Amino acid sequence: MKFFLLILKNLRRNKLRTTLTALAVAVMVTICTEMMTILFWVHQHVHTQACQSKLLVSERWVAPSCIPARYLSLLTHQEGVEDWTLWNLYTGYLDASRQNSRKGFGLATRPDNLIAMHIGLEKLDPAAVLALQREKTGAIVSADLMEQMSWKVGQQFTVLSSSHPGKDLRFKIVGVLPPGEYVRNFFFREDYYEEGTGNKETITCVWLRLRDAETAQRVAGRIQEQFQHNQPELKVETESAGVARFVSREQALLSILKWVVAILVIDMAIVLSNSISVATRERKGEMAVLKVLGFEPLAILVLVVGEAMLIGAVSGLIGAALAWLCSALAVSGLLPSSSATRIFLSFPIQVQMIFWGALMGAFVGFAGSIVPAWNARKVRVSDVFAKIA
Amino acid sequence: MSAKSLIVVDNVAKEYMRGSERISVLRGVNLALAAADFVALIGPSGSGKTTLLNLIAGLDQPTSGRVFFDGLEISKLDETQLARWRTNAVGFVFQFFHLIPVLTAYENVELPLLLLNMTAQRRREQVLLALDLVGLSHRLHHRPGQLSGGEQQRVGIARALVTDPKLIVADEPTGDLDSAKSREILDLLQSLQQELKKTILLVTHDPTAAARARRVLRIDKGLLVEERTNRCQRLAV
Repeated sequence: MKFFLLILKNLRRNKLRTTLTALAVAVMVTICTEMMTILFWVHQHVHTQACQSKLLVSERWVAPSCIPARYLSLLTHQEGVEDWTLWNLYTGYLDASRQNSRKGFGLATRPDNLIAMHIGLEKLDPAAVLALQREKTGAIVSADLMEQMSWKVGQQFTVLSSSHPGKDLRFKIVGVLPPGEYVRNFFFREDYYEEGTGNKETITCVWLRLRDAETAQRVAGRIQEQFQHNQPELKVETESAGVARFVSREQALLSILKWVVAILVIDMAIVLSNSISVATRERKGEMAVLKVLGFEPLAILVLVVGEAMLIGAVSGLIGAALAWLCSALAVSGLLPSSSATRIFLSFPIQVQMIFWGALMGAFVGFAGSIVPAWNARKVRVSDVFAKIA
Repeated sequence: MSAKSLIVVDNVAKEYMRGSERISVLRGVNLALAAADFVALIGPSGSGKTTLLNLIAGLDQPTSGRVFFDGLEISKLDETQLARWRTNAVGFVFQFFHLIPVLTAYENVELPLLLLNMTAQRRREQVLLALDLVGLSHRLHHRPGQLSGGEQQRVGIARALVTDPKLIVADEPTGDLDSAKSREILDLLQSLQQELKKTILLVTHDPTAAARARRVLRIDKGLLVEERTNRCQRLAV
């Protein structure tokens, strides 16, 4: 702690260099933070217990799936099923332009257990769910769609159907989905879907929640066996398997993302290392003076590494805080809609990432400074003074 | 070897390799310095003055021979042990001051104390005392760039004194100063030696500076070739 002032003052020595180094690290941490959020999202969805104990039942060979409604009671009465819900996908245009960019994907479902059955809706305002239960034509719409269409809660909108059975439906917005999971979706009531479209015969998929992952595996096997000779045949998979399937499809993209994060971290370390190397070379005489005064080689090493870690941690903190702030502003609708804000809406950055950003910066500072610090600790006092004299 | 000797240099040699060439800088130097003495080391450039000073101050290790400080064989200590020993035992005054430019006079003087187990209050007292001794109590919060050459050297002397070492080594302390400032610095060193009973080892080219010392050692080609005692040290004005 006694050396902290010395480290701090050293950073003020060449303000331009310190600022540029900090800026480079901050920008890279900002990018890394969003990428890590995406990778963390994938990891969480593939590995969490909640995802492994939830089954998604859909039609095996047809997409979009179309399960006969009569299967529903057979599925939901399986032993071990604790709760269930269903989806009926309702796709359509949100305005008369009928452009694909104006398409929305409605999910007709049960309103009573909406939050309990859907990962990513934990932060949904319960008042919105109550409003959906009260209002038959109600819809809870994603933040992304709300922003794109400039809608407000309480407003009505009509979806021009682009899917079978081709009936347009009018909705009243009763709430907004938390950002993250559902980007271009809106939830509405299954009974309104049946009434409005007249489709009471089929459902898109069924979600079953089981006690644990083991039960989920057992029930999945039983359903597969029970329906294997039926027409249509069913496919059963855990939610995590569903995500894993998506992940395996997008594996190349995710691998690139991981490599980009790794390269950025290495790049940050190089930027910092270069800056610290220049600084230590410039201050070789001072390092020698410190040694003369009694600073041990380890203390010199700590001073150099401490300087780099401080600049890394502060820059990382600023970079991650900036990313989080942008994400928070995008989520609250205070940032204008753009491709960048859409990413933040799909993968909102958690406040904890500020801590991880600082930690990443500090790590990069350590990695980038260890070689120059090692060289600095080996400065020979007599050599330096001989050169100076 | 005198019983009262603070420093004993016993048959010390120092060699360097320059490429494949072996350079012999010191060739069997024997020397004893008494406590509270003021000794000047003079000689032409490349004669080995600074090398001998580095060995006595524990900044370098001899190729052969031994160096004792207050009975402790410092030529046996490793780099870390020497660093710890230097903090308490030796104060350094350099030709080019070597103050840390981003620190104030106060902070520069405080630096060696950061290595000691000392409360902040005690550190403050020591620093203020040292700066008062060199007459810079009014320049505590000035950075080196805001001080004159003479004042910077005073800060350097305060930094050398602050840990209350037995030995102060000064390598051409007036080499970068004009004659008036040089006189002031030499007066100061002399008064510190007389009042605080510090042992001062001064390396210099300047005969006026050497005249301030009680004892003058002349070194040439790595050997002590002459030793004389000034009958009457010129007193501080």
